[in-house]
Parts: sequence; structure tokens; C-alpha cells
Amino acid sequence: MTAVKRLAAFLLSMLVLSAAVFWIARLAPGDPLVSYYGERAERLTPEERAQAEAKLGLDMPIGAQYVRWLKNALHGDLGVSFKYRQAVPEVIRGRLGNTLLLGGAGFVLIFSLALALGAVCAWYEDRPADRVLCRLGTVTSCVPEFWMCLLLILVFSVTLRLLPSSGAWSLGAGGGTAADRARHLVLPLTAVVLGHLWYYAYMVRNSLLEQMRSDYVLLARAEGLSRRRVMVRHCLRNILPSYLSLMAISVPHIMGGTYIVETVFSYPGIGTLSYESAMGRDYDLLLALCLLSGAVVMVSGMLAQAVNERVDPRMRARRTRHGKGAADRG
Amino acid sequence: MENALLQLEHLSVSFRTPAGEVEAVRDVSLSLAPGEILAVVGESGCGKSALCKAIMKLLPANASARAEKLTVAGHDIASLSERQMRPLRGALFSMVFQDPMTSLDPTYTVGAQIAEAVRAHEPRLKKPEVHRRVLELMDLVGIDRPEERCRLYPWNFSGGMRQRAVLAIALAGRPKLLIADEPTTALDVTVQAQILDLLRSVQRRLGAAAILVTHDLGVVARAADRVAVMYAGKIVETGTAEEVFYDPRHPYTWGLLRSLPSLAAEGESLYAIPGMPPTLIAPPKGDAFASRNEYALAIDYERQPPLFPAGGTHFAATWLLDSRAPHIAPPRPGAAGVLPAQARPAPGEVLLDVRHLCHSFHPAKNVAVRALEDVSFTVRRGEIFGLVGESGSGKSTLARCVMGVLRPQSGSILYKGVDVCDPAAARAARHMLRTDRQIVFQDSASSLDPRMKAADIIAEPMAVNHIAPPRGSLREEAAFQMRYVGLDPLYLDKYPPELSGGQRQRVAIARALAMEPSLLVADEPVAALDVSIQAQILNLFRHLQAEHGFTFLFIAHDLSVVRYLCDRVGVLYRGRLVELAPTKELFARPIHPYTKSLLSAIPLPDPRKERDRPLCSFDGAAPGPGGRFTETAPGHFVLTDDGKEAAL
Amino acid sequence: MDDLFTVVGLRPEAPPPPPPKRSLRQRGVPVTAAVFLAAMVLGCLFCRALMTKDPTYMDLANCARRPCREFLFGTDTMGRDIFSMIWYGGRSSLAIGFLATALSTLIAVLVGAVSGLAPRWLDSLLMRLTEILLSVPSLLVIILLQALLGRPTVLSIALVIGLTGWTAVAKVIRAEVRRMRTAEYVIAARCVGGGFFHILRRHLAPNFLSSVMFMVVMNVRGAIVAESTLSFLGVGLPLETVSWGTMLSLADNALTSGAWWIILIPGGFLTATLLAVTDLGNALRRGANKGHSNL
Repeated sequence: MTAVKRLAAFLLSMLVLSAAVFWIARLAPGDPLVSYYGERAERLTPEERAQAEAKLGLDMPIGAQYVRWLKNALHGDLGVSFKYRQAVPEVIRGRLGNTLLLGGAGFVLIFSLALALGAVCAWYEDRPADRVLCRLGTVTSCVPEFWMCLLLILVFSVTLRLLPSSGAWSLGAGGGTAADRARHLVLPLTAVVLGHLWYYAYMVRNSLLEQMRSDYVLLARAEGLSRRRVMVRHCLRNILPSYLSLMAISVPHIMGGTYIVETVFSYPGIGTLSYESAMGRDYDLLLALCLLSGAVVMVSGMLAQAVNERVDPRMRARRTRHGKGAADRG
Repeated sequence: MENALLQLEHLSVSFRTPAGEVEAVRDVSLSLAPGEILAVVGESGCGKSALCKAIMKLLPANASARAEKLTVAGHDIASLSERQMRPLRGALFSMVFQDPMTSLDPTYTVGAQIAEAVRAHEPRLKKPEVHRRVLELMDLVGIDRPEERCRLYPWNFSGGMRQRAVLAIALAGRPKLLIADEPTTALDVTVQAQILDLLRSVQRRLGAAAILVTHDLGVVARAADRVAVMYAGKIVETGTAEEVFYDPRHPYTWGLLRSLPSLAAEGESLYAIPGMPPTLIAPPKGDAFASRNEYALAIDYERQPPLFPAGGTHFAATWLLDSRAPHIAPPRPGAAGVLPAQARPAPGEVLLDVRHLCHSFHPAKNVAVRALEDVSFTVRRGEIFGLVGESGSGKSTLARCVMGVLRPQSGSILYKGVDVCDPAAARAARHMLRTDRQIVFQDSASSLDPRMKAADIIAEPMAVNHIAPPRGSLREEAAFQMRYVGLDPLYLDKYPPELSGGQRQRVAIARALAMEPSLLVADEPVAALDVSIQAQILNLFRHLQAEHGFTFLFIAHDLSVVRYLCDRVGVLYRGRLVELAPTKELFARPIHPYTKSLLSAIPLPDPRKERDRPLCSFDGAAPGPGGRFTETAPGHFVLTDDGKEAAL
Repeated sequence: MDDLFTVVGLRPEAPPPPPPKRSLRQRGVPVTAAVFLAAMVLGCLFCRALMTKDPTYMDLANCARRPCREFLFGTDTMGRDIFSMIWYGGRSSLAIGFLATALSTLIAVLVGAVSGLAPRWLDSLLMRLTEILLSVPSLLVIILLQALLGRPTVLSIALVIGLTGWTAVAKVIRAEVRRMRTAEYVIAARCVGGGFFHILRRHLAPNFLSSVMFMVVMNVRGAIVAESTLSFLGVGLPLETVSWGTMLSLADNALTSGAWWIILIPGGFLTATLLAVTDLGNALRRGANKGHSNL
């Protein structure tokens, strides 16, 4: 696919996504004025109410509202958050850093640990070390993420009083220093990592085992290479392209995982924001957040493909196949 | 032998599997002199691969091996640990595997992989020296333009080139012993012959010994000095190639030689070894071959025979060589009974008429692969028409077009006068076309639905077409068809994975016959089967033609099978029919250079003839788009380029 | 001795020895998981026989009591008996798990099979839509859909979870169908005139169902987790409807008062059930990784 085609597909998907979210959100019962006026919304007179709706553009048919939103959006105006009474990008910008910190650190930890853990399991296949790790991994993968958070809070905050249980920094004096932020990050990060680690480690283990069963491993050993060298140079090298593209595809998956963790730890990030906006019918904010996550998913999908094409020589060849005749008969 | 390169005594290998302990190799002893090629022959599952891996000590973790003595070039390796073994591998001995498609790492260039093998033994070599050595090795295994090709990846190479690259890797450490496990099985016949000759010439040049594992007696005859025949984990006969081929002593060797279609004289049916190899989970206490052996002695069922000397370097493990045993003259290879003189019915009217068939695939945009170009031939009622071609010749595409699964781009296929490619005509004759033509595929995991019982598979055509079963129920019908193809109705309720290859193929044939078709298209039906099972299936085809008047379109890559079975043969090369003639005529007077090279490449199970038979090489150029068919003798057509007569 | 050396020829082969009897565990059946799961399902089905209290009765005199003889697992912050709630609430959780999976499997089979057999344009359209659905975090999708349906009930939650959980299975089915479409047994069936539905029913479905069984079982797990997460966040079942998720939604109060049993006991049952389901799923998949390492 050419870049133009990809861009067109991307834009089309965003359009479909925005329309779908727009419709569903507005069809759902619930009063958006509540998030704008708070408690006051219930005491509004019908006239005041109509006025407020006109001001926020809620009195038009849904189709017209969507067209208006689309026009504004194309001019870079994504609307206003009812709850925060701020432009949507402003609201998101304030939270994005926190989520990127939690998600980014989680992402790096998950994928480096998973590679190590999977390789250890594959190396000791069916031996005690592998069995114990597999069992432990299966058990942790079964723990629901929110309950993992609760356990961590119960043990480390409530019982041992070692670490804070909520927020991204302490309120009041000394809040916001690096050490303070790090302390607040430990528990949510642990929850994010434990929630995803085994899924990827098990995948690494199984794809390594598949490589270890292939003929070229036997040939490499028959020519006198050591087991370790075969493992690193050949088996790991062979799973690398698919692992890298798996990493790219997993960006939204892990981001999605941080949503729950953020909510439990009241961590001020995109996750809590999405949750609040969906619950409070904060239409413009919700729509922007959905489009953001949709864009992340689609971009990471494209990234995955690009990575695959760079790292896997087979894909590279397929890309340039039209240029020169690669087949070499003999 | 004091100066032996390899000495192996009393080796046993067993695998722990969920079903029980599989005794894959049972008490095998062998030795190998420097510079000698020993061929280990046997059917699938006889333990030959396990034997090779045990010598290299590369068995998987669930295997255990015991050997009283295992020395290679004076090193006693029986008790060495993995760490001690490593420097010896590649330097002392090295290995080449069956499938060149999977034995190279797809992520490195061929040059890098050969270089890795070079450095594994000479770690101090400088980069330019390694490079020079890589080019040397590539040159040694006959890869031209090595400078350019060492930068290519394995998938840029054809099968034969990959196997050469694997050979280069194996030779990188200058091994004294080369073990080749089915090195040519996955290759086309013409490439197979080249690789075998290369193997032999390289081995002579380097003075290395080699163990060549194969199931193909033709390959053995071409390359081996000595032969060891394996059956059910044991060596049952060993000797020089001449001794084993011209004076076989073990009934199993007799059976193998007699079941080869290439040794069968005209009009004879093949000998098929009855029954199947035993499972090695609990091998029989006596001779494992006894229950398939017409000449079994009572003692064969009681005690395992030792290796009896049969003169010179020739040994065979059969009680028939015991002094107390009756003398039994070995049956002549190939002869198993003569078909009645009128066996081959005279061909009747034209059943299938293929005219100017063209088809191409489009695997990607702007890429077209011509699979078939201007192919025309006819098949008459009651004949077996053979189509021969190597991989990529378009033979499977042709079968699918004939069956109406693929619609060709141009040309027509008339079946009983109905144009199969014309949708309107085909729809009008839909019922006749569905029931009158049937297809049998190569035996593979996907040829029968793994989740259907044999009975349901056989009855499926009837159920689909809502035909009232003439024998009462569908099940009765399935049982009848099973008996018809020589399979016990005991297997009605088995699933395909529970059946052996030969049994599965019989089920596939029974299913095709259930509709009582006139035409049976067989796409490589015996390619995946062992020799003795292949003989059973070929006999069945012969029987069906002779007794029941079936017509076959038989597609194969193996010329000896085609020669045995078919009345007329067409040779396909890169989508074009290059030669078409009655079988006898084609084999006696091949005209097209491609046909000649094919014929010269068939390995004959006859060492004296085979060793010095020259290979007819063919340049490999694709036939041009033009050309016309010229009849050079009655019924013998050959494709000639425009303006220039074929060299006769 | 001499008669040992007479030719007797072929003798019928002795029947192969019967394979050694192996216990269920040796054959890879996860006995512990199966027994535990069966006990949970039975306990929830016949919860009336097991319950010692009315699980919905709020005994305000006994709020947040530690486990004792009367309240085996203690009481929650609203004074309800946790032991009784486990069995009573398990019914909702398990029912949602099975109903949602049944629905998502049905959708997945339809979309996957159609996409696998359809012409290219329909296939890419379906796959694009699937991707769009996947691109929004499923939690948000569920909240939005749930909002459309109004007040959550066990059925509506199951419906919403089922509607969002079919994409992964559908993708696998599509790939399997694409692969099997060119298998020789399918071509053979087409040669004898088998139509689309015949091939789908007799050949494709039995084969791809076995390869997605593991994922289907994992979907049961996913649905149970989704329900408990939603209820915990307060967007799933209302507090009055007892389920493992709503029981845990009282965790905030429990954390401040240190009432560990309110968090640990329902969560423990939840996790143990999920583990048992996972073990069953893994047993279904075990056959896949056969063969031995060459390393």
C-alpha cells in the first residue's frame, strides 16, 4: 500500500469512528448539563434549560450537531469540556504526561522483562525452573487487574504503610518532586506490569520453542555452535521481527490496561479522564479521547508493519520485489 | 577393522512418548572406512534418522541412547558431555538434512551462515580470510558467481541451491565424516541427480567418509559403496552395493527390490510386501519382519536372528542363513505374477479432450505466473494417461482445471463432449460432471478431513448429491467400497490421523470410486508413500483399470511409476506440454531435451548401470511462447521451436 | 529343534498391546481445575442449600464483622453475609461469563466464516470495521453501549460484553477458514458438488472450532473479569444485585477500615475460578506444541 492509500484509510476510519461515537454517546440517556452545571442542573427552569442547551448546541438534531462538530474539528477546534470548562486539548494536555509516564515505563518494563522471562522458560523447557515460572505466570495472569491493585494497596499502603495509595504526587508541601512522583508511581506501575507481563512472556516462550524445533537449529548445532549461541544468534533473532511488531500492536492494549489501574489509584491520567467523561456525558471530551486512542491504535498498527518490513529481510524483499528479479534458479 | 573411521557397537535409542517407550534403534553395530560412502536404507519410521542423530549426539531430550562403543577417527565419544562434543561437531563430523527449505536460518544471508560455520572452528580467522574461505566453499559445492550470491538470503535460492549451501555449511569445518539424512528427498528428480553427483565428487575430493540415509534404492545405487538395510530399528542386511543389489539375502530386501516399479518388466504386476511395519513401542519378540515374510520360519516368531555372514563383507539377519534352514532361492526382482494377456483393454472413444488450455496466476499486482500455456491432449476411455512434470510445471493446476475447480483463462476442456469451462453448458450437465469425474490427491494432512470418520468420508459424495445408496445404507455403501479397495471395514469408524499413509490413500480412492465415476484424476497419489505401500496402491490402480475399465489421468513426478502404470505419457515443463507419446515409445526414443534429461536423472536401483551413467543436462530455459507440435512417429508428438527442427 | 526351521510363512500379526492405562491427569486433563470448577458451578446453582443467611439482607447491627462462626466469611460494610453472597453472587458472575461467551462466539463464527469465504472487498470491509471497534478501549465501548441500554441487569451486561468480545476469535476463524479453503479435502468436497453450507458445516466448522476452543474458553474468563471490573468501577451491575464484582465495589470503604476479608475472600474466589477456567483452556491447547527441541 502506498502512503497516500494508508493516509486515506486512516482518515476514513477516523471519520467512521467519530460518527459512531458521536451518535452512540448522544443516543444514550443521561444529562450532559449535569456535568456543566453540576447539582444546579436539576433546579433549572425549562427556559433556562433551553437557553443552556442552545448555548452548548444541544438543541439541534444529532446530524446537524455532528456536521457542526466536524467543521469545527477541521478548523482545529475540538470543542469544550463541559465539566472542566476548558478547551478539550487543554484538558487532555494536562493529563497526557502522567499517562505517558505510567504507560511508557510500564511498556518498557513489560517488554524487557517478558523477553528475559520467556527466554529463561524456553531455555529450561519442561524443567523445574520453567514449570515454576509458568505456574506463577498463569496465576498472576488470572488475577483481575483491579483486584491486583486492591491487593497492592492493602499490603503496601494499608498494612505496611510503605507507599502512597493514590494520586500522582502528594498534596501540599514537597509535592511534585521527582522522588515523590516515583514513590507514587511504584504501585500503579507494578500493577500494570504484573497485569500484562505473563501474556507476553508466554508468547515469547512459545515462539522460541517453535524456533528451537526447526531444522536450522539442528544444522547450527551440527556445525559446532554452542547452544547459547544458537539461542541468541538464531532463535532470538528469528522471533525479533514478530516481537517488535507485537510491541507496536500492543501499545493500545497496554494503554487500555492503564485505564483501570489509573482509576483504582485515582491517578490523574487519560484513563481516569475517559472514565469520567463517559460517565458524565462530557461529549466533546469523550469524542476527542476516543479519537486519540483510535489514532494511537491505527498508527501503532502501521508502525508494526513498518517495523516488520525493516527488521525482517523477507518482508524487505517483498517490498522491493517489483524492482529486481530476486528469484535465483540453479 | 582397526583403521575404521567410525566404529559403532550395540547402539540402542529409545524415545519416551505419551504412548509408551518407542525403541527406534535396536542394537545396531556398524563401521565405516575412511573415504567410504555407506547408505542406510529403510522405510519411514525404521529408525534411520535416529541413528544419525545418535552418532552426532544431537538427539532430543526425550531420547536416551546407549552404545557399547562409539569412536570417530579415534575419539571415543560415547561418554562425552555436550560441552566436550561441541568442538568435535563440524570438525569431525557434520550433517546435511532433508528439507533445505527449513534447514537454513531465513534471517541471515547464505554467506553469513557459511561464515558462521567457518568461524565456529577457526575463531581467530580474520574477516577477509573468512570471506575467502566462504567463496571457496561455495565454489566447491558448485554455486556459481559466489561473490554475488553470498549476499543473498536463503529464500532467494531454489531448493537445489539451498541444499548446496547447506552442504557448504556442513563442509566448513573440514569434517572427516559427513552424514546426509535424506538429502535429496525434497528435490526434483533432475536436481536430485545433480546433488548426488556433487555429494560423491566432493566426498572423493576431500577424502571424507559419508553416511547417506535414504528410502530410495535408486539413490543408493547411484552413490553408495556399501549398503545397510534397516527395518524396525535393526540392520537386517549389510554389504557392498553389488552384494546387496545382486545377491540379496534377507526376505525384506527381496521384497523391497521386487516392489520397485522401475525393475518390473512389462505386463507384470508389482510385488507388494503384505501388511505394515510393526510399531516399535512393543516390538515383536522374534524377527520383526516375520509377520510380513512369506518365507518366515517357525523360529522367526520366537527368536531374533543374529547377523549371519553371507560371504565376504555381506551379512544378513535372517534365520534362512542358518545351516539348519531350508534353502530358498531368492525370487527374481520385480516379478510377482503376470497380468493376463488381455489385461490392458483397448482404449475406447475420447473421454476427455483438453484444447489449448492456458492459465496464469496473479500472486501480486502486475505479477503474472504462467502456470499452463497452450496445453492440448486427449484421454480415451479405459486408458491410463500419465502427466509427468517437476514442481512448478503446472500439473496440479491442470488437474484442478479438469475437475472444474479452477476456470482456465482460455482454451476448453471437453468431457464427454460437454465443455467444462463453459458455465452454461457445465450447469446443464452438472449432475453428470459431479459424479462422473473424481479426484485423488497426494497423501498429506489436508487430503482427508481429519475430523470425519472414514465411513462418512467415503459416503460424502452420495450424501451431498442425495443419491439413494444402492446397498441399503450409506454405511453399507462405505463398507462395500472399502472392501473394494482392499481395506478391512474394521476401519470404518477411524479418523484419518489414526490411519497409515497407505490406508488413507485407499480411503481417498474408495471415496472417489463411490460415485462409480468414469474418469479418475490422480494428483501424485503415491508420492508420499513408502515403496512397499506404493506398490500396493499401484497394483490397485492397475486392477481397477484392467478389471473395471476405469480411465485415469495420472499425474506424477516419478517417471518409473509412470512407466510402470501408464499407457501414454505427456511431459509438462514450465506450463507447456513438450512431448507426448505412448509410454514405450517415449522411454525408448525421447526427443525433447527436457525429456532426455528427466529420463537420464531417474535413479535406477542397479549400481553397475547407475554409477557411470552420464547425466543429460538441460539448460533450463523456459520454452518460448511459440512452437508447434510435430508428430515424429505414430502417436509421438514433440514441441519444436518455430523454424528449427528438434535435434534428433 | 528342527521344526523350528520349517517355513511357516505369514502368520496373522498379534494384535498390538493395548496402550498403557493412564490416569486422567497423565492424559493432560486438569483434574483439580475441573473438580473445582464443577464444585463452584454446582454450589452456585444450588446456592439455596448452601446459604446460611439471606445474601441481600442488610444486617446493620453486624456491619463489617470479621469471619466468625456465625458469619463464616464475615460480613461486608452493609452487613450482608459474605459466605452466602459468594454462592448467590457467583450465579450472576458465571451466568454473565457463559452468556457473553455464547453470544460473542456466535458473532465471531458468523463474521469470521463470512470474511474468510467472502470476496476480497467484503472481507476487507469487515476487517476494517473490526479494527475500528478494536481501536477504542473496550472499557469505553462497554460503558457507552451500556448507557444505551439503560439500567444494567445481568442480561444487558452479558449482551454488552458479548457484543464487544468477538473480534479476536473472529480474526482467528477468518485466518483458519482462509487456510482451509484451499485444503484438498475442501476441493474434493467441491468436486462432488458440495455447496457453501455443506462445506462450512461438515468441513470448516468442525476444524476451526477446535482451534478456537482455547480462545472461547479464555473469553469466558474475559467476560467474568469484565463484569467484575465494570461492577467494581460502578458502571456494571448496581450494588443491590449481588455479584463478585459488586461485592468488591465496597473495597474502598473496606480499605480504609482494614476489613481485609471483604476484599480478599470474594477476590480469592474470583481469581481461583479464573485460574480453573484458564487451566481448562490450556489443556485444550496443549496438543498444539508438539515435537521436541533441537536445541
